[in-house]
Amino acid sequence: MSKRLLGLILVLPALAVIVLLFLVPLAASVVGAFVADGRYGLANFEKAFALYTQDIIFTVVIVSFSAFIIGALSTAIAGYLTLGENPRAVAILRWLYRWPMFIPFIVVGQVLRTFLAKNGLMNNMLIGAGLITPMQASGMLDWRGIVIAFVWKQTPFVTLLLAGAMASLDRGTIEAARNLGASRLRILLEIVLPQVATTLVVGLILSFVTMMSVLSVPLMINAQSPTMITADIAFRINAYGDYGVANALGLISLGVTACVAWIYLRQTMKERA
Amino acid sequence: MKTFLQATALALVLGTVPATAAELTVVTAGDQNMVDYINEYLGPLFEKEYPGNTVRAVGTGPGDAGSQKITERFEAQAKAGSEKWDTDVAVVHEKFAGPMVQAGYLEAYRPNIETGKLVTRANADMALGTNVSGYVMPMFNSQTALAYNPALVANPPKSYEELVAWAKEHPKQFGYNGIKGGASGVSFVMGWIYAFGGSDANKLMNGPFEEAETKKWDGAFASLKDFTQNATLTPGNAGTLDLLSRGEIAIGPVWVDMFYSWQADGRMPPEIKLVLPAPGMPGQPMHYVIPAKAANKDLAEKFVALATSPKVQGEGIVKRFNWYPGIDAKYVQPELDEASWNKLFTDISPEDLATNGKTFPIAPYNNAILEAYERQAAN
Repeated sequence: MSKRLLGLILVLPALAVIVLLFLVPLAASVVGAFVADGRYGLANFEKAFALYTQDIIFTVVIVSFSAFIIGALSTAIAGYLTLGENPRAVAILRWLYRWPMFIPFIVVGQVLRTFLAKNGLMNNMLIGAGLITPMQASGMLDWRGIVIAFVWKQTPFVTLLLAGAMASLDRGTIEAARNLGASRLRILLEIVLPQVATTLVVGLILSFVTMMSVLSVPLMINAQSPTMITADIAFRINAYGDYGVANALGLISLGVTACVAWIYLRQTMKERA
Repeated sequence: MKTFLQATALALVLGTVPATAAELTVVTAGDQNMVDYINEYLGPLFEKEYPGNTVRAVGTGPGDAGSQKITERFEAQAKAGSEKWDTDVAVVHEKFAGPMVQAGYLEAYRPNIETGKLVTRANADMALGTNVSGYVMPMFNSQTALAYNPALVANPPKSYEELVAWAKEHPKQFGYNGIKGGASGVSFVMGWIYAFGGSDANKLMNGPFEEAETKKWDGAFASLKDFTQNATLTPGNAGTLDLLSRGEIAIGPVWVDMFYSWQADGRMPPEIKLVLPAPGMPGQPMHYVIPAKAANKDLAEKFVALATSPKVQGEGIVKRFNWYPGIDAKYVQPELDEASWNKLFTDISPEDLATNGKTFPIAPYNNAILEAYERQAAN
């Protein structure tokens, strides 16, 4: 048996799994998006845009905004881990920041639901501390709750990548800047960050795609109008058994993630070249 | 290794025991509490009554999706031409009973069992516009109603009109969960269309479906949009209960059984009360059905007869779960202590239930209302 054939046979099981479990269902759902009432056409997309345009915009805005905040926070945390001068504070931060990564989204949703409600833990603490009066208390179980959940859950992941990249930098550049009297903030923004920008972008893109696919958080915190595309997809299937429009919505969100994935792919291509 | 050998030996022994003792497979849609009900209460009771047999409960998940899975399971076995199906008894939502009967999956067993005569409610004969008489036995009836805090709502609204007037004076004090977060919100919207839709509610509930009816609702949805902007939107069925218990809203639609369970667990203050406004809000039964090709049909009938006996309906359905009984309540009352009975019928009397306890609209109207809500009230 030729070596080439043997190689092909060895790779076959893995290939079959990818084709059967990934490519075929994906193709079926792409095709399904264009079938309405047994005919091919764009009816599903027309309905999806007629009913859910607001939700699509809402989703993109919410997820982009979350990604922006995640970027800022993870830069700050990773920056302190790299440049911090108080070893105890650095050790505590290093120990603390990873925890949310191990908590599933559904639990985050559940925790924040009781924390952010109008009479929830957060407002009770603020009222107890005399910072606000009970009349001023308002719940945050709307888009703000979703953003908080996403940021809380995804920041550690990006920070982990970013801190790793920062740790492997040539310390010489940092020391040089320090010798010349640059402040830590300036070192972070002008010396460190530009060198790890690719890692940051990759981390944010992976977070973006993850956040696009989360169903539990919008369902638990804000299943209202406008809501995220995932909640609409679940509703189309559970309430109407309408896979057509659900597939169309899925394809639309795939389009959105494809845009950011394209940036990611271009980046990795450049690195390999 | 030793335990593995023991397990293998045990499996071999069990496998060779002659099959005089049957295993009854009960598949149920609904939350985990449905599976628990069968595993912890009904199953052991049945095994005691008919020794030697065992009951195996399988849950297919909450909501319509759970019943959908059962339907697909029957469909697959029917298409494969199986002679003996793997399900002896199934518990399904009302919406799915009709299609199952029409597809010929079910056995008309109600005349064969004693308790069949105790069923009086119309929804055991017509399931959302399809005649299912004889094919189903209602396990329980559940109902939606408005729960309110008497400290904040002195005179609870007796009708949708009164509710609208009250909500106008008390912005954000009415809360519901829209239509995407569970059926209590859906039910409120259906009631809104019964009240203001301009269609005959009976036609929506019993059919036939006419496209023209769906055109009459524009005004109702426009007013619902205004109403909703002035209301608090809650996350889910439990979300409404949660906000009520925290005093964040004063009134909102809930499932009666969930409400009582929360009160029993101490998660809902005991002062909160229920009212069922005119012209009514929907509720729905869940039905016991037996597939026409069930492997243990006789035993399955005995199981359903036991499950719908007045004693089990009183002890299990009313007392444990705060559901309304599936069979006529008058047969159940003698089996119950007065406290349990009163708890279920204090706020909403059997008369209220008879006049204002509606069913959901038939499927095409149901879908049309939901989609019109998305198009006109939520956008």
